[in-house]
Parts: sequence; C-alpha cells; structure tokens
Amino acid sequence: MKILAFDSTAVSASVALAEDDKLIGSFFINNKLTHSKTLVPMAEDLLKKSNVSLKEIDAFAVNSGPGSFTGVRIGVAAVKGLAFALNKPCVAVSTLDSMAYNLKMLDCIAVCVMDARCSQVYNANYCISKGIITKLCDDRAVSIEELTSELTKYDQRLILVGDGAQICFDKMKEVLPKIEIAQENCRYQNAVSTAFIAEEKYKKGDTVSANDLQPYYLRLPQAERELKKRKGSC
Amino acid sequence: MKEFICNSVEETKDIASRIADRLKGTEVIALFGDLGAGKTAFTSGLCGALGCGDVVSSPTFALVNEYSGKYPVYHFDMYRVNSWDDLYSTGFFDYIENGILVIEWSENIEGALPDDCIRITITKGEGECERHISIDGMDDI
Repeated sequence: MKILAFDSTAVSASVALAEDDKLIGSFFINNKLTHSKTLVPMAEDLLKKSNVSLKEIDAFAVNSGPGSFTGVRIGVAAVKGLAFALNKPCVAVSTLDSMAYNLKMLDCIAVCVMDARCSQVYNANYCISKGIITKLCDDRAVSIEELTSELTKYDQRLILVGDGAQICFDKMKEVLPKIEIAQENCRYQNAVSTAFIAEEKYKKGDTVSANDLQPYYLRLPQAERELKKRKGSC
Repeated sequence: MKEFICNSVEETKDIASRIADRLKGTEVIALFGDLGAGKTAFTSGLCGALGCGDVVSSPTFALVNEYSGKYPVYHFDMYRVNSWDDLYSTGFFDYIENGILVIEWSENIEGALPDDCIRITITKGEGECERHISIDGMDDI
C-alpha cells in the first residue's frame, strides 16, 4: 500500500511517499516560504519523480496539529481535498508524535516542542526504549518554565526535538545541564515520520474520511493572563 | 521614549516615513490611540515610504491587510479581537518575523505583543489637527 504524507504545521514543510515500510521519496523545505504556494506542488513533484500517480495512493496522511493556525489548516485542507476527490481515507497524526518518531532508535526521553510564542510550547514527552515509543502525557500547551521544572525528574537522556527545540535548549540549559538537542537532520517535524506512523495506524483501521478530518488545535494556557492589559507583555 | 508634536496629517506621515527608513523588515509596530487619532494615516505614511503604494485602508472588517513593498507589511486592526482564540485565528502568530506588522488597536492585544515591539501612541492635542506622537522602542529617529 502507498501512503502520501504531508506536514506544514510550522516553518518547515514536507511531503513523503512511503510504500509498505519503505520510503520511496520525500521533499523537505525549511526556508519560510508560504506553504500554501509550495506544499501541493511539492507533492506533485515528488509523485512525478517517483513515477507514482495520484490514483495509486491508498491513504493520505497529515500532521493535523498542533501547530501554527494557518500551517495546520493548509496541510489539512490539502489532504482533505485530495482524499475527497479520490475517495480515499485520511490518517491524522499528531505533529508531536511524528517528532518523537524521528528519534525512534535512541534510548531517551524525547521532549517534543513546537514554538507557540510568548514563552510557551506545544509539547508531549515520550519514553523511547529499544525502538518502542511510549507517550508519557497528552499533547498540551505549556510554558517553557513549567516544562523545565517537570523535566528535572528524569534520569534518562533528555533530547529536545521540534521547531521549538532551540528556544527551549537556550532557556533550559542552565537548569538542566544534561539537556540535549536533536541533530539538525532529525530535529524538525517531517512527513517521513508522519508516513510511517500513518502506515501503522492504517493497518489498525485508525483512519478518517475526508469529511471527518479536522485540524487539531491546542488551547494556549493563557486564561490566567489578560490579553488586554495596560502594563507588561509576554 | 521619543515625543513629537505634529500639526497636520502630512507631518504625521512624515514621522512615519522616518521610522520606515530605519526598519529592517521584521519589526512589530504597535499603534495606540483613540478613534480618529491618525493610526491609519500613520500606517499610510509608513507604507508609502516602504514603497507599498497608496493602498492603505483600515482593516477593521478584514482584520489584516497585506501590502508588498521593500518588505511585506501586515496591517492588523485588533478592534474586534477580544480573546486569545480570536487572536490565534487571525494568524497573528504566523505573521511575526515574516514581515513588518503594523497593529492598530494594540490596546486589545497588549498581552500578546512581543517584548521588543515598537510602541507608538498617538493622542490628540490642543488644536483640531494637533497630534502628540510618542515612540517607544526606537530611539534614533
């Protein structure tokens, strides 16, 4: 079976084509270009170069959130459109799950973080041991400060992954001297990981129709902070 | 903090163009001031100086207008933005660092403004056309 996967949840955008546990091709770009203009042409190019036609795709996968408001919508809309037109199922993958997958062969606590602005991140932590990934908490939005103090309880290697990794690393390294940052080639959310997670989900029947595919947003924990205020800032 | 007194729309636009000359392309400019203070006139002067042309109108309904000149300019009007969810769904956070953001009614989103934003407050003065413009976050104007 063939899966075409998409990610456009943050600054980078990517598309990957996988078939039966094998990666056929991928296209990753990390240069701030508008995803609305690049994502679908990237998929088109990838299919063309891979000599696979759109009709051969069995399922369309997407990182459906968390992420930037417009980014998430671009990816979900693209996949919705393709799956609807071709009457194929969709697989929704958490952006954070796909990041943890980047570190699948490292025994560590994967600290997946996306920059949510105002010193906050979208985050989930995962324990990875012998290639088995165990999710330790639900996807959530937390302040970097709160996450830092939570991470002090772990003895394992702590590896930051995601587009928020650098920001967290800079803020955490004083309190957590052992914190590490994933190397550049596996630091960002990538549709390659999305494709492999989607394949597992597809086999389990965990798919949705184009109609039911929804963008997935996390509410920022800002209720305690006033949006309208006279003094101070984020 | 820099303070200026202007006596006409042209003078307001002139100050705006002097600020425009010093922009590097990713600044957030937060405008404060009552209805009719001249926030849109200021934005118009800024965008004109950046080569966006004479295109500026208040995005009260659209929430954000996009102009392209020397840098992309995203002109927000936060008058109708009342919650974090409202703000998030304007795409505000996605625009930051991708161009210059000019924000009218910044009062409504003060809690979300970046620390290093340029704050410009326009208040009416004595005469009909007199305006006081105070600029915080940019000194060498």
